[in-house]
Amino acid sequence: MDLNSIKPDQVLDAKGLTCPMPMLKTKKTLKGMAAGQILEILGTDPGSKNDIPDFGNKGGNEFLGLVDHPDGYTRYFIRKG
Amino acid sequence: MGHDSIVSSVKNEIRKNYAAVFEQNWPVWLAGLFLAVLALQIYLWGESPWGIAGGYRNWGDWILYLAGVYDHHPTFAPWLSPMSLSNFGLFTGALISALMSRQFKVRRAPMFEYVKALAGGILMGTGAVLAAGCNVGGFYTAMAVFDMGGIAMMFGLGAGAYLGLKYLLWEMEHLPQDWFKINTKARPATAGMGWQAAQPFAGAGLLLAVVGAFYLYAFLGKTVSGGLLFLGFLIGFVMHRARFCFVRAFRCPLMTGEADTVKAVALSLMVYGLGAAVIKWSYIQDPMTGVYHNFWMGSLIGGVIFGVGMLLAGGCASSTLWRVGEGNTKLLVTLFAFALTNSSFAALMKKIGLFDKLGNGVFLPDVISWYLAIPVFIIFLLIWTFVAIWNEDSEKFVIF
Repeated sequence: MDLNSIKPDQVLDAKGLTCPMPMLKTKKTLKGMAAGQILEILGTDPGSKNDIPDFGNKGGNEFLGLVDHPDGYTRYFIRKG
Repeated sequence: MGHDSIVSSVKNEIRKNYAAVFEQNWPVWLAGLFLAVLALQIYLWGESPWGIAGGYRNWGDWILYLAGVYDHHPTFAPWLSPMSLSNFGLFTGALISALMSRQFKVRRAPMFEYVKALAGGILMGTGAVLAAGCNVGGFYTAMAVFDMGGIAMMFGLGAGAYLGLKYLLWEMEHLPQDWFKINTKARPATAGMGWQAAQPFAGAGLLLAVVGAFYLYAFLGKTVSGGLLFLGFLIGFVMHRARFCFVRAFRCPLMTGEADTVKAVALSLMVYGLGAAVIKWSYIQDPMTGVYHNFWMGSLIGGVIFGVGMLLAGGCASSTLWRVGEGNTKLLVTLFAFALTNSSFAALMKKIGLFDKLGNGVFLPDVISWYLAIPVFIIFLLIWTFVAIWNEDSEKFVIF
């Protein structure tokens, strides 16, 4: 899947936040979304590169991938299951 | 095979192995094993087992002495105090690891996160006085040397993590979310590709400096001090490579159900504890070494306060240090708040003589003999692990 062409239904800006806030906010935002919708998370915490993919595949959700943005943050995509 | 293809295949191998060791994250359980071995080495090498808060205390003492608050200067200079030295090592090890993986960057945080960092540091500094140690000295090491204060602090940390997580959930619902957004406009574009490429060389240079520092200490007749710096460096390197964070062992079972860190900490404690048992039972060192924690009241109450603080700050005593090593400015605030509070609160406690009322060191083998202490220790850790594994799927303890 080409991540750059994904049109997310919601974007969560977690830039500058460190563990555990990006995870908590991701979990909270996903709870408010409908099945099949896609959440994009913007983050700068290096720990998120392990945590968000692991968490994104839990509970029926699907982690679609991550891509580094040239401005120094990372974009993560999760499809709510 | 031609000369060129040999050169290129060697280059390829080096690149692959460099990435595996210095760039990709290590598994947490591996870091747990390394930590146990390194903690045992510190135990045998230095005068006291591994801790972190004592080093922060030393730094806080010096800052407050130089500011004119204290009349007497601290016993040890920061470059001779054992825990201060292993702390310097830990920080440098994390910095080296961050540089080698090209991850070092001055990381800013949203405004309100600095407020939480300050509050977290103050709470951890206070809790570490009451428990006579932080999550490392008061829990990890205390557990391993069969000081019952370690178990009391563990329950305190669990309760504190629960309360701290409750606060974080409240904050997401009730505080203006603008307080948690970083202003990215003022941000310059990435600091040039030159710096990115140069980072591993800076890391290698720093590594040589650490080795050089050990030889310098040895040359000056302070081999033990130099060794503590070096062992601290290895700990910091290992912790950063695996992003090993004690907070996760208490928080993640409540938050996502993830049990990997619980497994790693329990495994690490088993190795550390059995090693300590060998050292103590055979009288290689006095069995009461490291047994001085305030069982049970100080350890338990201190653990609760410390637990709330580590959730607010997003780092405990050890992970604060390694996160500062990768350029995290939020946890730099925590570090100073921790050091200053720990120093001043300890001075206050001494003045009003409250220490004796909090409990004293109780050595588990004195209470139930070595024959029972070792199986009880192992079974306790196994139960913790299995409950965490069971919770991974059932999510019985997940509160959110």
